[in-house]
Amino acid sequence: MKPFDYVRAARPAEAVGLAAARPDAAFVAGGTELTNLMKDGVLAPGLVVDVGGLPLADVGLRDGRLRIGATARMRDVAEHPVVSGRFPAIAQALLASASPQVRNRASIGGNLMQRTRCWYYRDTASPCNRREPGSGCAAVDGQNRWHAILGGSDHCIAVHPSDLAVALSALDAVVLTLGPDGRRSIPLGDFHRLPGATPHRETALRHGEIITGVEVPESPVARNSRYLKLRDRASFEFALVSVAAGLTLRRGVVTGVRLAFGGVAPRPWRAAAAEDALRGRPLTEAAVAAAGRALVRGAEPREHNAFKVELVQRALADILTDLGGNR
Amino acid sequence: MSRIVGSPVPRIDGRAKVTGAAVYAADARVGGALHGFLAMSTVASGRITGIDTREAEQAAGVVAVLTHRNMPRLARPRYISYVKGFIPLQDAEVHHGGQPVAYVVARTLEQAQHAATLVRVSYDAARRPRSSVVDALDDAFVPPEGPLGPNEFTRGDVAAGLAEADVGVEATYTTPTHHHNPIEPSTTTAEWDGGRMTVYESTQGGHSTRICISEALDIPLENVRVLSPYLGGGFGAKGPVWPHTLLTAAVARELRRPVKLVLSRAQTFTSNGLRAEAHQRLRIGARRDGTLTAVDHVSTNQVTRTEQAVFSSSYSTRALYACPHVHVAQRAVRLDLPAPSFMRPPEAVGSFALESALDELSYALGMDPVELRLRNHTAVHPETGEPFGSKHLIECYRRGADAFRWRERDPRPGSMRDGDALVGWGMATAAHTAGGRPGAGARVVLSPAGRAVVQAGTHDIGTGTYTVMSQIAAQSLGLDLDDVDFELGDTDYPFAFMSVASATVPGVGAAVNRACTTAREALAGIAVADPRSPLHGVPAGRITAADGFLYVTGKPRRRERIRTVLARHGRPVEAVAEPAAIPHGYSVGAEFAEVRVDPRTGRVRVTRMLGAYDPGTVLNRRTLRSQAIGGAVCALGFTLTEHTLIDPRSARIVNPNLSGYLLPVNADVPEVKALFVDKPDRDNEDALGARGFGETPGTGMTAAIANAVHHATGRRFRDLPLTPDKIIQGTAAR
Repeated sequence: MKPFDYVRAARPAEAVGLAAARPDAAFVAGGTELTNLMKDGVLAPGLVVDVGGLPLADVGLRDGRLRIGATARMRDVAEHPVVSGRFPAIAQALLASASPQVRNRASIGGNLMQRTRCWYYRDTASPCNRREPGSGCAAVDGQNRWHAILGGSDHCIAVHPSDLAVALSALDAVVLTLGPDGRRSIPLGDFHRLPGATPHRETALRHGEIITGVEVPESPVARNSRYLKLRDRASFEFALVSVAAGLTLRRGVVTGVRLAFGGVAPRPWRAAAAEDALRGRPLTEAAVAAAGRALVRGAEPREHNAFKVELVQRALADILTDLGGNR
Repeated sequence: MSRIVGSPVPRIDGRAKVTGAAVYAADARVGGALHGFLAMSTVASGRITGIDTREAEQAAGVVAVLTHRNMPRLARPRYISYVKGFIPLQDAEVHHGGQPVAYVVARTLEQAQHAATLVRVSYDAARRPRSSVVDALDDAFVPPEGPLGPNEFTRGDVAAGLAEADVGVEATYTTPTHHHNPIEPSTTTAEWDGGRMTVYESTQGGHSTRICISEALDIPLENVRVLSPYLGGGFGAKGPVWPHTLLTAAVARELRRPVKLVLSRAQTFTSNGLRAEAHQRLRIGARRDGTLTAVDHVSTNQVTRTEQAVFSSSYSTRALYACPHVHVAQRAVRLDLPAPSFMRPPEAVGSFALESALDELSYALGMDPVELRLRNHTAVHPETGEPFGSKHLIECYRRGADAFRWRERDPRPGSMRDGDALVGWGMATAAHTAGGRPGAGARVVLSPAGRAVVQAGTHDIGTGTYTVMSQIAAQSLGLDLDDVDFELGDTDYPFAFMSVASATVPGVGAAVNRACTTAREALAGIAVADPRSPLHGVPAGRITAADGFLYVTGKPRRRERIRTVLARHGRPVEAVAEPAAIPHGYSVGAEFAEVRVDPRTGRVRVTRMLGAYDPGTVLNRRTLRSQAIGGAVCALGFTLTEHTLIDPRSARIVNPNLSGYLLPVNADVPEVKALFVDKPDRDNEDALGARGFGETPGTGMTAAIANAVHHATGRRFRDLPLTPDKIIQGTAAR
């Protein structure tokens, strides 16, 4: 690990000011991600600004919106009664993440800022456009069983690893930030970028800008929401595919639906076309199948990940069956 | 009289381990130790053409940067523990990705780690590396017989046997590269005092490490001491001696300062061994009644350009069943990957193929898989015709099947369900060789205070050596367990072979018993010769020891406290057992698994595992059960999740960490039940009838799980691990 300066920020504005003054600054909160990347030489900030102690850990409901502070720990959010009661997909996504030890440490802001688990990104001896622009993508023709089938490019097919971000995407969350230019509200769907030709530009954050919190509107869809994660082992493992879904029905007809997917794309994958295939229609097997087809239209599987095209459609059907109470 | 051997004594080292009092190798406090860290090659084959260490040398805290240009020259050890084939940092050749290209020494670990990233290396890596057995089958060869025995074996005439068969099975099974991944990474701390080398090492072979250091550095054997009192697991990873140990010793001598090196997790993937990727083709013929007529088992295993030993064994194909015509070939292909080595249990790979093929045969015959195995049971070794020291496999099948309720199984694939889940039950025979190694010596000193210190240069790799050896010593000496201190992990103690090959109990156990028996007899002689003893005048051969007393056999009231005898004697009583080779044993069992398969998502869950085993005498049911659980969990990982992935172009391991290399977690593991026959093995009388056993439970369970998946789904999956993508492949969505 490259030697670095370390400073604890007491207030959000101080954190922003400290980082803005140093082009090589990075933020750390729980320390479960940045430190790993620094040890592996993937990231080498000259200044680490510790935002873990900022007074941004509150979780609560106000004016019909759930507000989760950026430094709230994953575990505390997952166990919060408002979250588990009115936004079950969020609680379930958090509990499906990592391990209890990690959830006790890791913050909500840091969770959204997680880097991809693509092993080529994490191996400094391998080419990776995301880590080192222009060096190439080893995954496109390499070990790509875990990689994206949607939203990738020839420059990068890494997937975003956060379960939480998938649930937040489905429930129309907004990321609240504070930067050198002031406060912003960024819809979660715009927060993570698709790689295109610039996979190293991962989020909408500008240098020195921190996440202060996340807001999620309360809704019947959020209240009847779930998170389903399929993976190679029963726990402590990233998703092969995952789906966050919220659903409301009236006399068997879909009145509201929100769908987002993990493990399939470089960012949480909100699937408007799949939602459109369901909204206003009876929740029949045919409608569910049509939504699945709409979801994977344009999918670009690679050598080892074609199974995800089928698996994600089955996951979608399973969660809708579950939410709809019948087939 | 209380029996100490056979009691489920809790681990003697348990408290020290859970409280942190146990001093592991990397915990050794060696004053003034510098920290080493390795810089690794980024290419898999070629030559180093340039190496620039200036920036690293100038980094804060750096004491030395050693490359192939200035690393002291070392002799490649001839001892069998050195299986790497070459020593890195001796020349410019690169044989695999993640090979050490520089050894950085600094005052702190962080300084060494950082400086290692500053070493600039350029390579000539023109040749594209080769990294897959399956892609290189055309180049397979049968390596000549090595220290591990022959790689080709024929009994009878397989072609004739296949021609006699009414029913045949021909199938190919493939398994990936695996890594041991003990939780404690390998570590070496070396201290040179100008004449003597002291090494704190996490090793399954203290004495073999000593021999290899002696040979590599040309230091007289008696001037090398290796200490390894505790291990955080090994699974074979720490059986061989690997280059980092020799290099650390060499650097400590060169710098005349103690040096500590701990491999990073990623470095353990390329610096320790691995279980070779294997491609196995089985051809089996049988008569209608299930009698085997022929087995042809050809495996192809990865080796390296510099070493051609095959470590994954197909021994069970030769020894487990009565079959007149058998051919086994263990072929090899040379890949540009780190060197393979033994991985606990090395016979699991062959067992997976054999026991899967037998399950296929049972379906081809329409015969119950247990019945098929019973029909081919052999009471004698089919190669020699000699009886085994003991073999209670038929009892294992019967007890295991009863406990698992095997009779309730509907053999039709896909016939058993639990809601939407497909339920499958599978079984396989477990079998592993045990012992057959150089064995061990032991020393015992009885103090005038009445305590025994028993020493052997062996190891406790987590299996319970401290505990069961204390039990054997206490029982043999007639002392209470609390009056015995068993010490290990130090080459100042009598020689013990590596703790591998299920050889510790038969080897060290026998030596401890022999030494303690000698001491007890000496003690009896002292007592009967002493007019002050109530035992005076009794023939020494009629003295028995138990519960802290010597007494006349059959007359327990005529007795004297051992402590009293020793106190009156006034000086220690010592005895030594010299190392003696130990017999080849064969520990067997029957293993059963239940799975639930979600046909939509491809998720396979193991919901029950049960084994019935014949380990000879049960020394300690508690530690033995732990071995059975460990074997079952290893098999679960082998079958469902574990897979070292290699990039096809760079031949670099892409998942050298515990987030990418998927070991089972607790949530994957169901209750594991273990039953034991507990009858002594005649060949292991010195070890009180206990046979080596630790590796047996990990052999059959892999096929048992895979066979259960077939029973659940009606489909054969012959390529491990059985991940969801394979399970759903070709299945229609509902």
